[in-house]
Amino acid sequence: MNAMLKKEIRLSSLLLTYLFIGFGAMTLVPGYPILCGTFFITLGIFQSFQSAREANDLVYSALLPVAKRDVVKGKFQFAMLIELLSIALMLLCTLLRMTVLKDAVPYTQNALMNANPFYLACALLIFGLFNAIFVGGYFKTGYKLGKPFVIHCVVTFVVIGAAEALHHFPGLGALNAFGFEHIGLQLALFACGVLLYAALTFVSYKKACADFEKIDL
Amino acid sequence: MNIVEIKDLCKIYPAFRLKNVSFPLEEGKITGFIGRNGAGKTTTIKSMLNLIHTDGGEITYFGIPLKGHEKEIKQRIGYSTGTVSWYPRKTIREIIAVTKTFYPSWDEEACKKYMTLFKLEDGKKPIELSEGMKVKFNLMLALSHRAEVLILDEPTSGLDPFSRDELLDVFLTLKEHGVTILFSTHITSDLEKCADNIVYISGGEIRASSPKDAFMRDFGKPDETLEEVFLRLEKEARV
Repeated sequence: MNAMLKKEIRLSSLLLTYLFIGFGAMTLVPGYPILCGTFFITLGIFQSFQSAREANDLVYSALLPVAKRDVVKGKFQFAMLIELLSIALMLLCTLLRMTVLKDAVPYTQNALMNANPFYLACALLIFGLFNAIFVGGYFKTGYKLGKPFVIHCVVTFVVIGAAEALHHFPGLGALNAFGFEHIGLQLALFACGVLLYAALTFVSYKKACADFEKIDL
Repeated sequence: MNIVEIKDLCKIYPAFRLKNVSFPLEEGKITGFIGRNGAGKTTTIKSMLNLIHTDGGEITYFGIPLKGHEKEIKQRIGYSTGTVSWYPRKTIREIIAVTKTFYPSWDEEACKKYMTLFKLEDGKKPIELSEGMKVKFNLMLALSHRAEVLILDEPTSGLDPFSRDELLDVFLTLKEHGVTILFSTHITSDLEKCADNIVYISGGEIRASSPKDAFMRDFGKPDETLEEVFLRLEKEARV
């Protein structure tokens, strides 16, 4: 673990952010739009960013013997750490729903989205969009958090709505597969989610480095 | 020998311009950076630390341009500003523990020495410190990694006269050890005691950059103190 990520964990983050990883367990809540858990996880990350801003964190970091892009990298790494820990928890819960709980009535009689690899792909897409819109957006000014977070909220709930609705369209029922049904398609969709997450995060990181170089602290 | 060179530094804000600011910092000397509030001292210092994006000019430390060598240069310089509070709800112990991981040259002995000298308690949080103690905490961080150049933005603001005097003695001791210091202030009496050189900025322009004696000879009148010279120059500039 590099020094900047350690600094993020020890000085810049809030305990609340780590506690909010627990919202990944909402994957197990029956009859609930389970993708909403991802929103709460990003809300936790937002809280740490807000607290760090009030502690003059960006200026402190920029004064350390690091390049300015390392300050950006630290913030992205912290967001990714929380997101990937959350995905690990969601994966565990998804595997439970796909195996031992696959015939549980509360899940089989569920009009909403199932926990399956497509669900994890959607979660990764939301996290990727959060990195692009919120984390990347923060580095446009180095202090404005509200606007990028509001845009992130709107986009997230559009994605959640679309993901919940898709499997109701004719021909798209396989998106809501139970257990290991349509596993080839499901894994391909998961791979797409991973690629989208990586691409959105990487592109926004590059842009944030360029933006942060230009702003005055 | 000049250890830091600032050449033709420009920064344009809607209501203020830093105009071709140029001055050197001589190795092992204390340079006082004077100017009234809003003259451009902090903008210049922030440019020297790459905290703001300049519109022109070049800054070199140890003969190396800041642009592209920020990381290695910041290992060798220290910065402290007045009363900014970093991580107000973390303990001093925690902040030191994280900060020192960035400096291979971190000097534990110096850290302890300044903690004792400044009467800082590592279990306290910045939010619990008075304004003067915050200044001392920031200075302690800047002084604990064997910086060769110290850039201090109004380091004595908020300090009581005794602490100020103590701090000026610390600067003189550091100078004896070859440390170069740039020290911005509007408390000119501090500079009477310790500055070797004076850089005077007014309205975003450098009006003078010379040894203190030469500055007094060129701008002062008989029996005037540095403060009186500074006040007269500012009044003349307004007319």
